[in-house]
Amino acid sequence: MQYFLTLERFLRFLKQNPQYGPPMIAGSAGVLLVLVFVGYWFHKYWYLLLKSLTRNLLRTGLSALAVFVLAIVVTLVWTILVVLDVVMTEKAKDFKAIVTERWQVPSRMPIAYAPSLKEGAASKPGDLKPDDNMSWQFYGGTLDPEKRTWENTLFFFAMEADKIIPMMDDLENLNPVYVKRLMENKQGAILGRERLKRLNKGIGDRFTVVSMSHKGIDLEFEIVGEFPAGRYDSSAVMNGNYLVDAMDAYPTTHNGAKHPMADKSLGLVWFKVPDSDAFSKVAEQIMSSSLYTSPAVKVETASSGIASFLEPYKDLLWGLKWLLVPALLVTMALIVANAISISVRERRTEMAVLKVIGFTPGRILGLVLGEAFLVGGASGLLSAAVLYGAIHVGMGGFPFQIAFFPKFDIYVDSLWWGFLFGTITSLAGSIVPAWSARTIKVSEVFAKVA
Amino acid sequence: MAAEAIVRVSEVHKFFRRGSEQIDVLNGLNLGVATGEFLGLMGPSGSGKTTLLNLIAGLDTPSQGDIWVGGERVSRMTEGQLARWRTRHIGFIFQFYHLLPVLTAYENVELPLLLLPMTAAQRKQQVMTALELVGLSDRLKHRPGQLSGGQQQRVGIARAIVTDPTLIVADEPTGDLDARSAEEILHLMALLQKDLKKTIIMVTHDPRAAKRAQRILHLEKGKLVTDGAPSDAVLSHP
Repeated sequence: MQYFLTLERFLRFLKQNPQYGPPMIAGSAGVLLVLVFVGYWFHKYWYLLLKSLTRNLLRTGLSALAVFVLAIVVTLVWTILVVLDVVMTEKAKDFKAIVTERWQVPSRMPIAYAPSLKEGAASKPGDLKPDDNMSWQFYGGTLDPEKRTWENTLFFFAMEADKIIPMMDDLENLNPVYVKRLMENKQGAILGRERLKRLNKGIGDRFTVVSMSHKGIDLEFEIVGEFPAGRYDSSAVMNGNYLVDAMDAYPTTHNGAKHPMADKSLGLVWFKVPDSDAFSKVAEQIMSSSLYTSPAVKVETASSGIASFLEPYKDLLWGLKWLLVPALLVTMALIVANAISISVRERRTEMAVLKVIGFTPGRILGLVLGEAFLVGGASGLLSAAVLYGAIHVGMGGFPFQIAFFPKFDIYVDSLWWGFLFGTITSLAGSIVPAWSARTIKVSEVFAKVA
Repeated sequence: MAAEAIVRVSEVHKFFRRGSEQIDVLNGLNLGVATGEFLGLMGPSGSGKTTLLNLIAGLDTPSQGDIWVGGERVSRMTEGQLARWRTRHIGFIFQFYHLLPVLTAYENVELPLLLLPMTAAQRKQQVMTALELVGLSDRLKHRPGQLSGGQQQRVGIARAIVTDPTLIVADEPTGDLDARSAEEILHLMALLQKDLKKTIIMVTHDPRAAKRAQRILHLEKGKLVTDGAPSDAVLSHP
């Protein structure tokens, strides 16, 4: 399913390597020009196909509408499946790994683990250090302890501010100014758009969180930025050092007693290694280290870590992929098959006339498949375009909470998915009627007409 | 006549199977049609005249025997070869016109030309010539539903002649028309044969239509029973 994001990856590549932009644009324009030329060369056939489709506008319209609606649903479901598949599939390069507590969910490790874990427990010459790393603590609470609601409840990822962009996925578009502010302002916080809306706050606003996760550690924040629309709409990130300092200061106001969370504040540590061999080596270093025995830790690739989180949704995802999507595609094919079958049956004489005029059986087959292609392809493409415009541009993703994925954005690739779904199902649905049109016996048709 | 024949039908048999029963439609038929000839095929229903017409036009293949049209052995061609051959060599005029209802008169006539390697300008010139010939150059943008039966048949004739075919075949071309329109169509077909030297084979039940032909063949039970000029005796053959 990785290939379903080819266009998105290509556009990202161009964004990161703008020097390839002009030749790519020129190449694409060339391909487009060839397609337009080929399309024009056959414009009389397209015209004939369009004319045939206008013969019964109601039937054509209803078929197109059905494909349009089903293509929207398939594209939405496919988006979820592709995104989850991507995050659960290992990358060949830039391997991400996650270290968590071994025997407990949620993971709660001592913050003292963080410095050495981030170095991959490298202690001897020849040990391998990760290319990059970050640690996560979780801090949550409410803005109104008197009247706690979903709206005034807030959970933060507490992390190293400078690692947000290099380590977190899909944040290439995060304004670096916000990150700089978070690094400089320990009380800073970056929130997602939906979270800001729910709190009725904006950049520059201040608020105090009365903690639920770290009782007695209530922190004051200043909103210094917002995440770009999409995956992080409901997220909140704070400076990890702020929480560590608050924990360190806790004993001074509590007769020297450590905070109950002092030894279990670290949720997880991420690190990045160049490939799977490096991952195995670093994992071995961590697992064989005597530093992490109480509690014990485990090392997983990021994708398998996420897969573990998604385990409860396994059946649902299986159902979406192997039941719902095929059922929708088959329904689309049957709708087109029904419409094209009726159309071919009504036009048997016309097909026979075309054969008399000189249309070969192959051309007749092509005409019928062409009609299906136009209905399916156009409806599929249109549905994807509407979906992309409404959800990606308009809403910044559609809400569908699965594990820690609150929203799924529609990728630009959905444009060709929609076209593909519409085209393939329509062609599949029209093969039988097209074949029946191809094999029409002229003499038999006219014998019946007479 | 054999040396100049544009159509040669040699020992042609055609039979169909209905279950275990074999129905012989044509029984060892021999026929030659000269270039530029206007031939009428007559006979009672089930005599095999339309089957013969279909075989000559390459719409069907004989069970036995050979058919040659314009020097080409059409009886041994595949369906695809026949289709391509028909585009260039056969113009077909139907009883019920069979124009495509969603296309204009111009577009209906242009249809066969789309299968030939021609430029748009060449196509336009040939369509206009054909429509002028049938007197419908003022009805280019009319759809079949906006034309009378006679006008539709004239569009059908224009479609049949637009590729300048070797042979024009017509199956009851006046069968669905009133007397006046039928007369116009027959006059037009006679002009095609006289002025453009077209070879025409026409199936008809109508003695008035048959009179326009130079030669009449009578078929009965798949066999040729009379062959001659359209005299009263031939036309009134039972």
